[in-house]
Amino acid sequence: MQNPTTSKESATINSVGIDLKLLRLPADYGATLGVKKLLTNVSVGKPKKPQFFRTHASDEMTFPAMILENKEVRESYVVVPEVAQEISELVRRAMLHAAIDRQNNVFLIPVPLPGEDGTRNPWHESLAQAVEHAKLQWIRITANMHVGGYDIYEAQGTLPDPEWPAHDIDALVEVAFRGKIITNLDHPVVQSLLGEI
Amino acid sequence: MSALNFSDGIFLVDFEFHPARGREGNPPIPVCIVVREWPSGRTWHYWQDDLQQMTVAPFPTGKKALFVAYYASAEMDSFHVLGWAPPANVLDLFTEFRCLTNGLRLAHGSGLLGALMHYGLPSIGSEQKDAMRDLILTGGPWSFAEQLAILDYCETDVAALANLLTAMEDQIDWPRALLRGRYMKAVSRVQINGVPLDVAALGKLQANWNAIQDQLIAEIDSDYGVYDGRTFKANRWEDYLVANDIPWPRLESGRLDMCAATFREMARTYIEVAPIRELRSALSEMRLANLHVGDDERNRCLLSPFRARTGRNQPSNSKFIFGPSVWLRGLIRPKPGWGLAYVDWSQQEFGIAAALSGDPAMMAAYRSGDPYLAFAIQAGAVPKTATKKTHEAEREQFKACVLAVQYGMGEASLAARINQPVARARQLLELHRRTYRKFWKWSDSAVDEAVLGGRLWAGFGWQIHTRDEINDRSLRNFPMQANGAEMLRIACILLTEAGIRVCAPVHDALLIEAPLDELDQAIATTKSLMQEASRIVLDGFELGSDVKEVRYPDRYMDKRGVVMWNKVMNLIGGPALT
Repeated sequence: MQNPTTSKESATINSVGIDLKLLRLPADYGATLGVKKLLTNVSVGKPKKPQFFRTHASDEMTFPAMILENKEVRESYVVVPEVAQEISELVRRAMLHAAIDRQNNVFLIPVPLPGEDGTRNPWHESLAQAVEHAKLQWIRITANMHVGGYDIYEAQGTLPDPEWPAHDIDALVEVAFRGKIITNLDHPVVQSLLGEI
Repeated sequence: MSALNFSDGIFLVDFEFHPARGREGNPPIPVCIVVREWPSGRTWHYWQDDLQQMTVAPFPTGKKALFVAYYASAEMDSFHVLGWAPPANVLDLFTEFRCLTNGLRLAHGSGLLGALMHYGLPSIGSEQKDAMRDLILTGGPWSFAEQLAILDYCETDVAALANLLTAMEDQIDWPRALLRGRYMKAVSRVQINGVPLDVAALGKLQANWNAIQDQLIAEIDSDYGVYDGRTFKANRWEDYLVANDIPWPRLESGRLDMCAATFREMARTYIEVAPIRELRSALSEMRLANLHVGDDERNRCLLSPFRARTGRNQPSNSKFIFGPSVWLRGLIRPKPGWGLAYVDWSQQEFGIAAALSGDPAMMAAYRSGDPYLAFAIQAGAVPKTATKKTHEAEREQFKACVLAVQYGMGEASLAARINQPVARARQLLELHRRTYRKFWKWSDSAVDEAVLGGRLWAGFGWQIHTRDEINDRSLRNFPMQANGAEMLRIACILLTEAGIRVCAPVHDALLIEAPLDELDQAIATTKSLMQEASRIVLDGFELGSDVKEVRYPDRYMDKRGVVMWNKVMNLIGGPALT
């Protein structure tokens, strides 16, 4: 904000015959305070049934990872490759896609990657298609048990493109998996899943 | 002080005065004036006999001189009555003290004594001040000793001004302070002008008001059965609401919310509530005896500039014709051969929010001429070809949403307002946030600024300190209200200096008057200068205005008050409105 004039010198003008516009102070609240919204929460998972979302169109906003899901508490963990080799039956390879909903909440959608034979189950294939579709359109998805895949509903209105935060995928992954990166077999989640404790 | 470049001098001035013939509503009769040059301390005293002989002020008032007073509009009233040209430059230490301390808790208020105590300066006691005021208000004649006592008293105020100016000098935002002083000159012109009233109708109302109250209750309450004598019974009101299936807001205690604002809100949704709301308002706010009306049948009272936290005027509700229930505005009537025009900025708060936030969608919505419908279109809720006629219901909901955002209403209040489920209200508010993202970011920044920086400001320096009270709703609303007040002040300045006769400022509107053959031109000038005021405050963004004109023998009326006015006039045989 422009500081109000308190010096006597600047009061050489009188109150008549001046251009009033020159006295206007800008309404640039917060300009000098440097307040910015911090990215503190990034959830991981499929979008909820009523949630319209978009996925980032750039490949740079994807992140390949070995994911371990603890379905009991609906938590996902990233497992470092050395550990993943040891518990391959518990983890799966997935591509994390940056996504955003209409409330500007950023989240990551893990899409399981095809197996060594190049195939993946129909649900995963369907999810991958939805994620592709969401790069261009606002959509929501619901599970269709009869066909074994997701129905895609496209928003019909002319909705503005999402406003992505200025964070790269590494930053999103770091926030999403803060405290949820498994770097050794002693991790309590691994021990629990292996029935060691 | 030469650095201030007021080479003809700085003059601290105080008048003593009383209303003509002791009647509030009449212009003042100056009793004396004391002038002190600052900082030299040279002082002059003039009694009313001397003043009557003078055609100009007895000290320099041109562009190279500075006039200093506390509550300068009162001094300007005396200038006007004496036929003196107003000073070119006015510094009002009252407006500056208010501006410097607005939002802070002041132990002794913002009067002259309060300001002196705030800075730890000596002052006379309030009892002595009251006694001298009472003596002056007697209207004289005063003995020689009394005259000397009055002059001495007047000089104490000037001495206080000198101390105060010394204490405040380095804190004053000089160029904008002089602009506020310029507004105080405009306020005086408006106060002196006043609002023309139909005194005959007022007299009938005053004479019959006691009987009217009972008759009104009997007539209106026959549909409700909630009054016991003149007492509104809450339990009977609850019975009525249940019988008529009207969901009424309740307090945390579980009791019905009986505040006036709730009645006003509910009357908008449930039309059957409107008559009882008007009746309650009429009975509680009708204090006709306090309305200040001069001998010339004009309502005149202190406009109390800068009294509100937003910097708006805050005239007494009982003394100012725009204060009591709206139906009483039917008393406003131009004099024979004259006309009135009530000119208000169109959707002023929305326009200010759009311009200050720089939200392009919001600005486009304002410029469309119908921001409510434009919002619905922008949100994708109605087709681009929608009109007020084809999508009236949707437009009403989006209008309610815009107003809800301006008032800081939550989803529950908005739902009640539009008589829709909370989910619909939530959806509307969410659409507002999505459609006007830049506005919301700016609004969030205003709250951050208030909380972290400790103050908010408007375009021409009016500010509020925010450390003592953090209220998200009022902080978000402050920029719109305070800049609306700045806009009104600048419009008043431009209009009065252009010779337009302004009768009253009313929130975001101005009531002007002109001879009938000049009314059209006066309205055109008023609209043009109000547009200019908006451009000045909003960095070039222009707000439109709406006009309601009244030509003698018609009377002014707010459409909300027509039914009540006619009901009352029917009872006393007064003039009805069609």
